[in-house]
Amino acid sequence: MPEPKTPCSCTTNGMNRRSFLRTSGVLAAGVAALAASLSPLRELSDYTSVEQFMQKHYKELTPAEMQKVLARIANEVEKQYHIRPHVKDYKPMDGVEFVYCLNLTRCIGCRKCVHACVAENNQSRDPEIQYIRVLKMPDGSFDMERGEHNYAPAQVPEKGFFYMPVQCQQCRNAPCVKVCPTRATWTEPDGITVIDYDWCIGCRYCEAACPYFARRFNWTKPKIPADRINPNMSYLGNRPRKQGVMEKCHFCIQRTRAGRYPACLEVCPAGARKFGNVLDPNSEVRYILDNKRVFIQLKEDLGTSPRFYYYFDV
Amino acid sequence: MNGNRTNFVLLVIVVAFLATAAVFLEDLPGRAVVHPPPVPLVDLKFVDPAPTRVSIAENLKKGGDPSDYDCYLCHERNKPLKLNIDTNGDIIVPSEHKNIVMAHGDHKRNNNCFNCHDENNLDQLQTRDGRVLKLTDLSPLSTPQLCGSCHGPTYRDWEAGVHGRTSGYWDRKMGGIARLSCVSCHNPHAPKFQGREPAPGPHLLHPVTASVQPGRSE
Repeated sequence: MPEPKTPCSCTTNGMNRRSFLRTSGVLAAGVAALAASLSPLRELSDYTSVEQFMQKHYKELTPAEMQKVLARIANEVEKQYHIRPHVKDYKPMDGVEFVYCLNLTRCIGCRKCVHACVAENNQSRDPEIQYIRVLKMPDGSFDMERGEHNYAPAQVPEKGFFYMPVQCQQCRNAPCVKVCPTRATWTEPDGITVIDYDWCIGCRYCEAACPYFARRFNWTKPKIPADRINPNMSYLGNRPRKQGVMEKCHFCIQRTRAGRYPACLEVCPAGARKFGNVLDPNSEVRYILDNKRVFIQLKEDLGTSPRFYYYFDV
Repeated sequence: MNGNRTNFVLLVIVVAFLATAAVFLEDLPGRAVVHPPPVPLVDLKFVDPAPTRVSIAENLKKGGDPSDYDCYLCHERNKPLKLNIDTNGDIIVPSEHKNIVMAHGDHKRNNNCFNCHDENNLDQLQTRDGRVLKLTDLSPLSTPQLCGSCHGPTYRDWEAGVHGRTSGYWDRKMGGIARLSCVSCHNPHAPKFQGREPAPGPHLLHPVTASVQPGRSE
């Protein structure tokens, strides 16, 4: 083996002009490449803040900490949309379990519920996120495979079809809750399955587990025009989400926990949607469950036991 | 010889690194992704919770002209009205009332004006059991009494808050429930709920083919 020839013998410590240039060139390129590869971090502050990153799980937050969190959310919303929101953490009421009933005889498939929900709950408009999906189904069949999502006739209802809106069924035995690796989603005492958007890591296991196609993922940063923001917000409900988290119907938690009806119910022109406290014997939902032909809990065989009932007029 | 090759390789790497660095810095924040066309915003009429029609009572409350509903501006008092009936037994709607479509019930069972209107006093309506109501009664409880005198089960459901639209508070302790009367949604002369234009469906990024959608209308 011939000994490697030294390029120059004019220096004492082995560093000469050429090796200096070579080393510094490689070093500069390495540093530049590293900086470039980290450059997306410059946008990090748009996605999360230190306070949000260090925040505890919803159930571990003390009331004082929750106030700080709500103030942070309000500031973030104001910064982004130039609207001062009323962000509140609505708590479940004692002796209340929510149940939804939907009258398949009355539903005309006009999809107003879909859009009222979007408006109420600050869903992304582009890309579009909707919690309710209305299926057009041929009469005399409950084959979900034949349900059509994209019907667009001049007028609904069409002869020979019925319409079945599907949204989160608020299961008593919710598969989405079971699969969540971070416990970012759970069922509240009043029966609403909620998501802590600050705790969700976006793995989408719950989306895969849900048999009702009820959960939606924010693939990009949600886009909402500022003039369509609903400023009445709740922590577990309709505060604006960020990229990379799941969301779904929460029975309009900011309305229903304040005693009001959900937005989809109020907008329904046919009065097909009914909502209330199933533990109250005088509620509308109890009247329906007692007196109407309550069809099923959707996909009853899966054992999810939804709090969402479909029924017919007798 | 060996050192020259090393130099050359390193030089290439340096140039490649610098080039990628430049590309990264230039492109990453606003990478030229082909964006799909924007999703159009939905028309606000589809999120409007207003009822489907304006009843007489609601029209009057909003400042409508009460003389529109004063029958005796045209009709003569104490003069019995005569209904004209064609050969099929259907009522011929007089030209002054041409806006009225007689379509109450699928079987023409209720095509007689005086099933609901009081023939002796046109400002009044009469229930099947003989109670009378003013035509311009502003209470939302008046028409359900009239309609309920025939439509018993539906009236029972309405009383329970189960038939028809509601808004307000499910929790009665926190606020009232807003109820609508029958004629806020149903035209009394043609009560079958009218079809309407559906709101736009889910926005499609790609055209849906028949093979993807087995349930498309057969």
